[in-house]
Amino acid sequence: MNETAISGRKLIVASAVLLLAVLFPHFAPYTALASEILIFALFAMAYDLVLGYSGMLSFGHAAFFGLGAYTTGIFILRVYPSILAALLAGMVISALGACLVGFLSIRRRGIYFTLITLAFAQMFYFIAFKWTGLTGGDDGLQGVPRPSIGSLDLTSEMTLYYFILLCVFLSVLIGIRVVNSPFGKTLQAIRENRDRAMSIGYNVDRFKLIVFVISGLFSGLAGGLYALLLNFVPLGSLHWTISGEVVIMSIVGGMGTLFGPMLGAIGIILLEDIISNFTDCWSFIMGLLFMASVLGFRGGIMGIIRRKKPAVSRTS
Amino acid sequence: MNAQLVLTQLFNGLILGSIYVLLSLGLSIIFGMLGVINFAHGAFYMLGAYVAYTIVTYVFPNFWLALFLAPIIMALFGAACEFFLLRRLYKLPIIYNVLFTFGLMLVFQDSMRMIFGSMGVPFNTPESLVGAVNLGFTYYPTYRLFMIIVTALCSLGVWLFLTRTRLGAIIRAGTDNSAMVDALGINISRIFTLVFALGIGLAGLAGVLAAPIQNVTHLMGMDFLIDCFVVVVIGGMGSIAGSIIGGLIVGQIIAAGIIIWPPIANTLIYLFMATFLLIRPRGLFGREGFHE
Amino acid sequence: MKKIYTFLRVTRVLVLIAAFSLMMVPTGQAAEPVKVSVLTDMSGPYAGITAANVEAAKLAIEDFGGKLLGQDIEFVARDNMCKADVANQKAKELYEKEKVDVIFDCPNSAAGLAVSNQALLHKRLFVSIGSGTTRHTGPDCNRYTFDWAYNDYMMATAVGLWAAENLGKRWYTITADYAWGHDLFEHFTHALKSKGGTLLGNDMVALGTSDFSPYIIKAKNADPDVLVLLNAGKDAVNATKQAREFGLKKTAKIIHALLFIEGIKAVGDVFADDYVTGAWYWKSKNPGSREFVNKWQTKFNKPPNWMNAATYSAVTQYLKAVDRVGSKAPEAVIKALEGHTFNDLLADPGYIRPEDHMQVGSAYILRAKKSKEVTEAWDFFEIIDEIPAEKAYMDAAKTDCEMGGF
Repeated sequence: MNETAISGRKLIVASAVLLLAVLFPHFAPYTALASEILIFALFAMAYDLVLGYSGMLSFGHAAFFGLGAYTTGIFILRVYPSILAALLAGMVISALGACLVGFLSIRRRGIYFTLITLAFAQMFYFIAFKWTGLTGGDDGLQGVPRPSIGSLDLTSEMTLYYFILLCVFLSVLIGIRVVNSPFGKTLQAIRENRDRAMSIGYNVDRFKLIVFVISGLFSGLAGGLYALLLNFVPLGSLHWTISGEVVIMSIVGGMGTLFGPMLGAIGIILLEDIISNFTDCWSFIMGLLFMASVLGFRGGIMGIIRRKKPAVSRTS
Repeated sequence: MNAQLVLTQLFNGLILGSIYVLLSLGLSIIFGMLGVINFAHGAFYMLGAYVAYTIVTYVFPNFWLALFLAPIIMALFGAACEFFLLRRLYKLPIIYNVLFTFGLMLVFQDSMRMIFGSMGVPFNTPESLVGAVNLGFTYYPTYRLFMIIVTALCSLGVWLFLTRTRLGAIIRAGTDNSAMVDALGINISRIFTLVFALGIGLAGLAGVLAAPIQNVTHLMGMDFLIDCFVVVVIGGMGSIAGSIIGGLIVGQIIAAGIIIWPPIANTLIYLFMATFLLIRPRGLFGREGFHE
Repeated sequence: MKKIYTFLRVTRVLVLIAAFSLMMVPTGQAAEPVKVSVLTDMSGPYAGITAANVEAAKLAIEDFGGKLLGQDIEFVARDNMCKADVANQKAKELYEKEKVDVIFDCPNSAAGLAVSNQALLHKRLFVSIGSGTTRHTGPDCNRYTFDWAYNDYMMATAVGLWAAENLGKRWYTITADYAWGHDLFEHFTHALKSKGGTLLGNDMVALGTSDFSPYIIKAKNADPDVLVLLNAGKDAVNATKQAREFGLKKTAKIIHALLFIEGIKAVGDVFADDYVTGAWYWKSKNPGSREFVNKWQTKFNKPPNWMNAATYSAVTQYLKAVDRVGSKAPEAVIKALEGHTFNDLLADPGYIRPEDHMQVGSAYILRAKKSKEVTEAWDFFEIIDEIPAEKAYMDAAKTDCEMGGF
């Protein structure tokens, strides 16, 4: 199979996915849920850069998601009512947070890395919980408005959905660019064999830190969009269960595939919403599903798709 | 702040620490031997409390019987979980058992909610241990003193078992290098089941012991789980001594935080853990290259 | 390069589709039936108390006759999982997709505030029951949100005033260290000061603390007449268990911020002889109370708690208001509710203050019975006293509410 054929098929798939994304709010249970799904898909993609492409099991990504959400919300309420500026601020602060956490934890490996990121995220959580003057504490940061961008009024859920879609679309393009760049290839090389990458002369820790910061940046964007979607920032956006959720989305979707974790996010949020309308034991069912996914299909959703369509090759 | 309060807090830290010790011991040997980060460990602890409640309420109203039976039942249940489920995870990257045990946790918690309701169940201190003992500086509840003694004895027992018996030696060797033990012709999979059962039995024991002083609800293990991770990290992954000392340290830190400045009591252990790891990257007794 | 152009073309088409979708915003609501919804905690920590509010609302609709404005009343319920973000999303689903006219309940203060904001954005009604924050009728009040049956001020003030008069004036408080606890602490100390009492000490305790013994010991050393525990659920049980353990219960009376029959049922004798405010009790003699309790008993084999009764009352009063004005238009219904006085199972009389949208009624001082005093199943409380609404609630002129327009 030659390369143009692969690209052609990819283009068709990409267009189909985009079409689905554009039509999604019309067949999703409700518009705000479609937006939430997009946001978590973005968050899962950002997380996959760290977990899937670099092999770092971070358990503290709620920190960057929450940091983005709070910064965006506080910026709009206290600094200047501009969505774009606020989102940018959220991204920058999250990236700075990721830089700090990453700098302190990346040299720790394996389970120590996982738990030290968790510890940092818990600190952010308790700071937000305590600093009620700034964050609203347990009540959350209430009443975040959605100021219009120029003449674009974002108060309608439908408009906001397309705005979020645009943000996610651009982020995914950048994400694809990152993983396919020499930088991305190096990361995967480090993941596969750290010692070899080191002996070739790569500064492994610096590579990891950079990707950690990029991931923090996009997690912050996801958080900022979440603040806009909800019109407030819940304290729960910093809770460790959010970190857990994004890990689960990545695994269920298929790590290291960029799109897999996005599918995982879609599947999990959609299922949780639908199941919780029928029964109060949704967490029991979700638990069973997680267990089944480990025992049954470890490649995740992406793995199933690929098994059926082997023609889409793994590397591009 | 007075001396009485500080001394009492020291004891309270010891109580909290002893629950941490029981839980982290299991968490740590399971991780060391099986390479499984058991996210369901807090849920097993919770199940222990519910099993004890069931025994006391529906089978025979005697706390001592529950204290004896519940850990055994939990150990058997743990063995079954290992044999039928966790066994399939050993060859997989660690991330999969995080997801699996997370799922297990949700299933256990929600099952208890469905059976016993979300309000929790009543669990009273056994009649013979109600009241307080005069320690000279304060009156301290008898039941709490009893808890300290039981956990001390159990920790000692586990310690002796692991250091003085042949089986213990195999487990310690397996924690270091399970392939090596396997190569020596020892049936490693049976040892795995045993280790898991032991860990879950200890978690169950912690659950029974904590039931009279805690509210028994389906979420009671959630808070403890994250704290126990902190203990295990401070003590050093897979280290038995580390779990015991780490548990006691964390118990004292939380107790001290309450005296010093209550608002930071929550944050203090994370702050401590982060700083500690910067100085000692593998905790107190962690070894280089171990599950890294 | 060609690839990119094709892609851009596809993108352009998609943008057109998106723009088209935006224009298809649904409009008009000609002769739609009245649709009522309950958004409550069905699977989280409060589920044991609030999940039955769904049944209470259904019963209210059934007892109303099931029909309004010539059509069947529709009903839908959603689980907020006790999370503010879920509540917020579900509120949007209810207002936008399900097109409900009103949302009831929504426990958890953060969740309640978020839904209140959505009510304002969607210009539809929200009647808060489970969320007790005074922000609903204070700085965060809006024209579309009503607060039914209780708030934190009332829970603190009623039993606070009563305890200062009848149990003693030397208090020690242990407070859950977050917005709700701080709010209650303020109101309790205010009640105490107004009766000339002294606060011997207060400890702010982190949420989810399982070990209350250091605070209990401090409290014991202060030797108060009354120990005030400003926490709920798991924390309240732990604190009370430990107060008993350290013998504090023998020397002081304990008052709580929130306590339900289900909570007592779950932990046995722990709360015996403690005091708390209730908005209602199932032994109440208000008009219709007996019938409601009987129906509930036959259906669920246990009596309703006061949240259930409040939900029944709120739904009934909403339906009656729609009936009175003959329209479900939010503005008309809101005006019909504002300043309305009624007599029902919950409140006799009940009054909806137009200034801050607080529904006020008498508050009850309840004492938890010892297990040997309980002769009838679930009869866990004794009504000690009744505090009139004027005393139990903050003066409407003093709240920070600036009621907006429509």
